[in-house]
Amino acid sequence: MPSSLRMASGLFRQATRNLAVIESTTSRPILSLLRNTSQSQCRAYTQAQRPRCQNIQSALSARNSFSTTAFRARAKTMGQMRQRNSTGPFSWKAALLFVLTGAGMVVYFRVEKARLERKRIAEMSKGVGKPKVGGPFTLVDLDGKEFTAEDLKGKYSFVYFGFTHCPDICPDELDKMAEIIDKVREEAKDDTVFLPVFITCDPVRDTPEVLREYLKEFHPGIVGLTGTYEQVKNVCRQYRVYFSTPKDVKPGEDYLVDHSIYFYLMDPDNDFVECIGRQDTPESATKVIMEHINDWKREGKPMKTV
Amino acid sequence: MGWLPWSSSDTNKASDGGRIAPDRTSRARCWEGRDHFFACLDRNDILDGIKNDKEARQKCAKEVAEFEAACSKSWVKYFKEKRVMEYNRDRTIERIKNEDAQKVQELKSQGWKPT
Repeated sequence: MPSSLRMASGLFRQATRNLAVIESTTSRPILSLLRNTSQSQCRAYTQAQRPRCQNIQSALSARNSFSTTAFRARAKTMGQMRQRNSTGPFSWKAALLFVLTGAGMVVYFRVEKARLERKRIAEMSKGVGKPKVGGPFTLVDLDGKEFTAEDLKGKYSFVYFGFTHCPDICPDELDKMAEIIDKVREEAKDDTVFLPVFITCDPVRDTPEVLREYLKEFHPGIVGLTGTYEQVKNVCRQYRVYFSTPKDVKPGEDYLVDHSIYFYLMDPDNDFVECIGRQDTPESATKVIMEHINDWKREGKPMKTV
Repeated sequence: MGWLPWSSSDTNKASDGGRIAPDRTSRARCWEGRDHFFACLDRNDILDGIKNDKEARQKCAKEVAEFEAACSKSWVKYFKEKRVMEYNRDRTIERIKNEDAQKVQELKSQGWKPT
């Protein structure tokens, strides 16, 4: 602590000053004694003595100049001195600085800890080699163009599996998805970082035209994907989604499809980051997604902006 | 029943061979029919609309007709099954909660304090 050092050097200086006083008082009788014996001798002695005194004086002044810290204005009265001794090196300014620094550190470490925790989870799910969730696939988009896993790269994608004849869960979840899309795009102030994707588990009934009509009711930004039975089965396997679509359905047959009801958040490397489930509200989901997007940006990693 | 998009094979077929699913309004109509029917089942103390089909049809004739008209067959079956499943689920949760509360009471009487 610099203040305690300062106090110590102050005490030291006072001690040496006292020493100098003693020195000068003791030297006086010697001088008078010498004066009595002989003038010349006395001169010789005093000459010899004087340099010593001067030495001490110069040493004292040198010591003063050694001290680099500005000493607090010397106490002029006993009252001031006493007050200084009673408060010591502490003042309300020091206390405030201490508290503010402490609070700042606590906040900083909390934020940093949360960020590292998210990073650790994201890194963990990347795994070594093949990612656990997600992987290469080939499907077709609503314009009939080929869409592969490569097309998801460079953005945070938000993948949902469902089917248009879904009775109640998918419509609810898609309404939620629409809210999340708007919220994320508003918070990111950027429409390009977030890519919501709907993959049908029911390719026989959900053709591009059907999907387009269906998704239009929820959000125009959702990318709808479909494909052949085998292609859809493959993408479901890549994403570890339970796939129960009957293969040979008669035209007009009425059936339901079991499927996973999670949203999968994938990072711009197309690695799985997090699941958003039924228990999440649009607000909590947006918070999670924005945290990941901001972390990615903060680390200066590349993102597609088209 | 031509106004139902999936009830006639002409209107629910997309030009590229797909089948058009109920839209938002038809879904809302179906859910409304379901809620009316289930309210009627509640009034008559019927839980399972499949097992007690006959009784349900007798007591809630109007509601069941509306429900089945507004929803496709697979949806009707799904909702009826879901009702039973949710009832059992809620009862199980209730039971576990009660058991937990009992256990806590028991432990407290033995001098245990929740930390």
